[in-house]
This record gives sequence, C-alpha cells and structure tokens, in this order.
Amino acid sequence: MRVRYLWFLWIAFSLLLAGGAFARLYLGGDRTTFLPGNTSGVHHQIELACETCHTSDDFENQAAIRKDINKTCVTCHKEELKAANDSHPIKKFKNPRMADYWDRVDARFCTSCHSEHQPEITLAGLVTLPGDFCVACHSQGDQDVRVNRPTHAGLEFDTCASAGCHNFHDNRALYEDFLVKHSGQEWLKQEPIHPVALLARERARPAEDEIANYLASLVAPETAVGTIADEHWAASAHAAADVGCGGCHAPKAETESEIEAAWIDAPGEEVCASCHKSEAKTFALGRHGMRRHPDIAKPRAAKRMLKNLGWKDPPEVVIASIENYLAEPSPAPMMSTTEARVPLLPEAHGQDVTCNTCHKPHEQDLTFAAVGACLSCHADDHSLAYKGSPHHTLWEAETAGLGPLGSGVTCATCHMPQSERKGVATTNHNQNDTLRPNEKMIRPVCMECHSLEFSIDALADADLVQRNFPGTPDRHIESIDWAVSRVEQSDQGSNQ
Amino acid sequence: MSAKFGKIKAGIAAGAIALGTAPAAFAEGMEYQTVTDLLHLVMSSDRTVYTRMIVNRLAVQEGVIKASEHFEDEKALVLPAQMFRFGAEMVAEETDEFSYSLLSLWPINKQNAPTTPLETEGLEYIAANPGENFYGEEELGGTTYFTAVYPDIAVAEACWSCHNNHKDTPKTDFEAGDVMGGVVIRIPMDG
Repeated sequence: MRVRYLWFLWIAFSLLLAGGAFARLYLGGDRTTFLPGNTSGVHHQIELACETCHTSDDFENQAAIRKDINKTCVTCHKEELKAANDSHPIKKFKNPRMADYWDRVDARFCTSCHSEHQPEITLAGLVTLPGDFCVACHSQGDQDVRVNRPTHAGLEFDTCASAGCHNFHDNRALYEDFLVKHSGQEWLKQEPIHPVALLARERARPAEDEIANYLASLVAPETAVGTIADEHWAASAHAAADVGCGGCHAPKAETESEIEAAWIDAPGEEVCASCHKSEAKTFALGRHGMRRHPDIAKPRAAKRMLKNLGWKDPPEVVIASIENYLAEPSPAPMMSTTEARVPLLPEAHGQDVTCNTCHKPHEQDLTFAAVGACLSCHADDHSLAYKGSPHHTLWEAETAGLGPLGSGVTCATCHMPQSERKGVATTNHNQNDTLRPNEKMIRPVCMECHSLEFSIDALADADLVQRNFPGTPDRHIESIDWAVSRVEQSDQGSNQ
Repeated sequence: MSAKFGKIKAGIAAGAIALGTAPAAFAEGMEYQTVTDLLHLVMSSDRTVYTRMIVNRLAVQEGVIKASEHFEDEKALVLPAQMFRFGAEMVAEETDEFSYSLLSLWPINKQNAPTTPLETEGLEYIAANPGENFYGEEELGGTTYFTAVYPDIAVAEACWSCHNNHKDTPKTDFEAGDVMGGVVIRIPMDG
C-alpha cells in the first residue's frame, strides 16, 4: 500500500516538473535553462526569443531546419547585406555549377560560417570557421589569388580578412577600382567639414520675440505651463515645425479641452516613432533598440501562447496563475543597460534604452545626444579617450563658435552618421551600421575629411582606434599601392 | 555532343517561361531541349536588345553615358554581362527548377570561367562549331542536370571594344560575330 502511494507521489511530482518545464518552454518566462550554449555578441539580447531563429515545426528534418534558420538570418540582415553590395551573396552560390564549392564552404547558408551557441570557437564577426577560411575556395584553379595577383604570392590566408584588405561581405571601400580612384590623396582634406552635419547644425536659435509668440500660442494644462521645459522647447526644431505640447502629450486630441482631458505626463517612445519613422526603424536595427525589431519574437503573453497551443479560451485564473508562476516575460520588451555586455559606467546601470535616454524631450539639445548621452553610459577605452582627442577638440571649437559649422567630430558623427535627403539631414540610429568590420565606416564617415589611404591605415591600427585617434597610424596597409601597381586609373572596372 | 532528351513537367515549363499558369500547349510536357531553347531565345533576345539599344547606343555611338561595373558609384549603365547575371541571380532566389549563367573560356571576371567538365566541353564545342549549340547531362551536388550551352556572340562594338581593352582580359582580338562565351542553362532531371 505504501509503495503504491510512493508511486503515485513520484508520478505526480514528475508531471509537476514536466509541466513547469513545458510552461517555461512554451508559455512564457525565463528560458535560460534551455540554451544549448551562450549566443555571441549582440544576439544575447534575443537569445531567449527562441522562435526568432527557430521557426521549424517540431520533429522537422535537419535539411529543413537548416533552411528555416538561414531564412531568419536574412530576415534581419538582408538590408545591410544589400547596402554592402555583398561580395558573396547567397544567390551567387545557389547555381548548381557551384556544387564543387558547396563541399568546401557552403556559402548558400549563413550558418556555414556563422554558427550560433558555440562561444568556444566563435571569432570576431560571429565567424565560426578558422580565420584562414578564404583558402577553401581561393587557393586553386581560376580562383587562386596567388596566381591572379603576383602581389599576393607570399601571403598567408589568415591575413586576407584580418589586415584591412578584404571582407567577406562588405568591400564597398576596398574594391580595386575604388582603391585606385582614391589613391595619392592628402591624409586630410583642405576644408574638413561634414556637409550633412553642416546642414543639420545651421539652424540658428530663434529670436526672443519669436519664442515669446510661440509660447503664448501653446495649449497645455496649467501645471505644464511656465516651466523651464517650455522655454527650451520654444527654441527647438519641434517648435519650428509647429509641434505643440499636445502633439506628444495628447497626440490624438485637437481642441483645448480634448488636450487637457487626454494629457499624458510621460509619453512613450511610440509617440516619437509616429513621426520619426526612419529614426525608429534604424534604431530597431542597432544594438540599442533591436528588441523592437519587427521580426524579433515578441515577449510571450500566457494567454496568447495558450491560444497558439490550441486552448482558445483559457479561464482567467489559469492565465493569472501561469503568469504568476512564470513572472517576467521573456525576452524583456526593451534593452536595459543592466544587461549590456560592453563596459559601462556604474551609474549607468538600470536604465531602459529609449528615445528619452539620449534625447531630452524638451531641451532638444542635440549636442547632448551627439556626445554627452554616449559618454554618460559607455566606459570602454575608446569612449573614455574621446575627451581630449583631436576630434573632440574640433567639436569643442565648433560649439564655442571658434570652428566652422560641421567641423566638429562627435560620437554620433562616426557611429550614427547623417545623410541628406531632399535638403533634410537624417540620422542613422543604428549605431552598429558603420562597425564590424570597421571598414564600413570609411565611405560614409572617414572619407568626408580623410583620404582613403589614411582611413584604411588608421582603422587597421587597433591601438590607435582604442586611444581614439590621438596620432598617426603605426602601420601602412599596402592595398592601394598594390592596386595602383597593377593598373593605372581604370574606367572599365576590374575583376572583383 | 550528347543529347538525351527527357520530358519536363508542365509546371516547370510554365514556371520557366510564364512564371504563372501553364498554357494548354505544355500540358503534355516538353523535352528538356525545347525548354532550354525557348529560355535561351528569351535571354539572348533581351540581352541583345540591352547591348545594342541601350549600352552600344548610349555609351559607344552617342557617348552620353558610360557603362561601368561600378555603375552605382560611377552613375553609369550596368554592363550587359552584369544585367544578365543580375537576372540569373534573381531567378536563383525564386526557383531551383532551372538556372543559367554566362560563362567564357576567356572571362574578364574569373568567377565566370567554367567550373564543371561539361561546361568546359560545351564552351569548347560552341567555340569550335559556330552556329551550333551543345547539350548534355551532368551530376552536380547529387542531382542530375540537363545542361545546354549556347554561343554568346559579339553583337555590338561595345562587346569587343570593352573585352579587348580590359586589363583583366585573357584575349584581346575579339571581332564582330565572334563567339565570346556561352550561356549555360540547367534543368534538374531528378524528380
């Protein structure tokens, strides 16, 4: 009899454990236990949103799973690969004539080179092949670079991508004709000014009477009037665009009474995103905002997950008890500085990263967003060395009115570069767009002021980068010299 | 030259030619060679039109714009070979029921050299036998393909003047009407 009870107890306990695991796996809560190995780099932000990458049906075969996972890589990274004019696009390798190469490095699949959950073999750029992977295809037959390029005869294959010469995907600033076209230039332009920054910084502060008129026209609850906030606001670009208080604090209200009734003290970032669509889109592509990317699996709500599992109308008590047990949703809806894996200042921890983290909504002081906001969190060597660097000195001179507009170089100048469209400057809020590899920064950023040769050399000098460019590069990358030695200026294009 | 003809399902023919509903004429199925011949007719016609009426006219005869491999950076016309390749890559993204490429025994871009023994055999055949096509079968990556190779002819001055003068060209004496390379079309025969 006692044995029977023990069996009953054992079965009940096992079912309870299995139920708990099942709930964490399928319904919500922290799924860290199920991680097969830590993800690399920025993917840690979405590693608990398993369905983002693992989209296959249960018990699917290996080939189908590989196909499905690779589709999800492209879902998020498609635009940047397209912008990079990808040198090794998947479509190039799908042709069966490339079958011989499939056995070497199967470039039809991202996961052939970038395999997640394998931190012990992961190199920079989430590469999980040995660093000399180029040898697999470019060491024999018509593709043998040592035959095609006499300058490359004595080079080892682990230097192709590590010496500032080639990237697997993005060679926009490194292809041969580009090197030739931009050879022989001075390291610094005669008038080093970023034209789009100039465009953005040209707006002068309005006259005091204009500000007074604007303030008099505002409609807002009494508690919000007369604060320092609205005076700052009156000088902002928002005010110049006739965005009043209600535009953000009561977005759908029109009349004075409607604005007072619908007033929200602290509007969320969705209000910003309703107008700043491009900024919101690029923010969701970068490290600060990627959890908002539309293709990242959403935090799991118990009711929705039960519905997905076929329970159409679960009782509230079941939902409440599951949510109570599972506590926090996984993944969290937005990135917090607490979860950051880059060096941050101790006082920066515990903040969610939203628009307001960098932009003070009333002050509209873009100089804070360009430098101060970054340095209030980031404490890596490169960030800490910014103040006092030549770029910072230029920025100080510009903000003091001693240097020309557009001559200062801020954190945002390089990491959130601006572009111009129809006379309006737009800031790319994907702070990773010009990094990894850092040669991505050469064309949109460095070459606005510097020569291609200096830019390549400087970015290849890791120590110089770390010290925030206080001097000249300690090395010279010979790619331009080699390209020039092979051909004089060509207007026909060459073999890439 | 080997040419073993099989039947191709109506759906493949329809997908290849109309990318839509199968016309009634294909309901009985078509021979592989017929399908590749028809595909090539579309490809070579479009390619010739682009080369003669766009690139040769604007870049060579009228000189109002140049054609460049780096057409975005140079604000130039896409080269005819790139035009063809971009189309082939777009098809590759949509279907694996057929594939095609523009290859040569004398490629400027080394990635357009033959990579399979049948490609080499086919390109040599069409170069040695002007006016003829080449058909064969080959196994690649565990799949058997019907492979057709069609001559790519120098139809306009833009073709030979660019190829003869390019720094990476292995051949500098192309003339009008020469076979400069070949269009290779493949259809998987398994299933």
